[in-house]
Amino acid sequence: MAQLYFEDVKEGMDLPVVEKLPTTKTLVQWAGASGDYFELHYDKDFAQKLGFPGPIVHGRLESAFLTQLLTDWIGEKGELKKMSVQYRGNAFPGNKLTLGGKVTKKSVEGGQNLVELQIWVKNHEGKEITPGTAVVALPKKK
Amino acid sequence: MAQPKKATLEDIKKLEGKKSQESMEIDQHMIHLFTECIGDPNPVWKKGIVPPGFITAAMVSGGAMVLGIPIPFPRSVAGGADWEFLRPLKAGDTLNTTHEFFELQDKSSDKGPRALMVYKSTHKNQKGELIAVSTNTIMSY
Repeated sequence: MAQLYFEDVKEGMDLPVVEKLPTTKTLVQWAGASGDYFELHYDKDFAQKLGFPGPIVHGRLESAFLTQLLTDWIGEKGELKKMSVQYRGNAFPGNKLTLGGKVTKKSVEGGQNLVELQIWVKNHEGKEITPGTAVVALPKKK
Repeated sequence: MAQPKKATLEDIKKLEGKKSQESMEIDQHMIHLFTECIGDPNPVWKKGIVPPGFITAAMVSGGAMVLGIPIPFPRSVAGGADWEFLRPLKAGDTLNTTHEFFELQDKSSDKGPRALMVYKSTHKNQKGELIAVSTNTIMSY
């Protein structure tokens, strides 16, 4: 993957979009990989008792997808410093998720070349279900 | 996250400050399970570097699961979370995490009962160096 440099980044620029299609199998894999065995994410009857139409995608899986959006963009020499998300809507297995981001600020602080971003997960209807913010540090060109 | 038993707001308020510690050694297989699940083929993660997203996994920063604090209302869902990544983590490192039930916020209104349960977690490596800090909010309604 190509390395992104601080000089390459402009305020207002968009990150390359990443698409994900979590399935029921993905949710089971995530339960095993993350240790989150809450039945809401794989047991239809349980989910319906709680008022959901069926199992929902783990919010933390969406967060993990967002970290991939960022680490893909910043390259091996970039550093993910901070990430914050709010879970405002539900995603369901089989629904395509679209992840994106936009640069909101560039600054140099404490010798670090920092880039602040808005990030989001949109559901298959284009509704922003998981907005958030992130801060990354990038290398400068020699 | 887990769905623990219900309790009153007063009972839960008394549990603010409750802490729990856990420890896990990170190996390449755990990294593989994580990256395979999210569909992240970045070759960097095959070099023993732990993806920062690994810290988002419930077993790492899901204090709600570990502490078993009861919920006040019938339903609970994840409300939000934030992470600050301070040092890289590598395969072979041991991650020592302290979870704390930080506070209960009663947000009930004329629209109905609602509460936010805030958990904070501190993650250190085997040398005691701070790797990350995270906050996790559960909404019960």
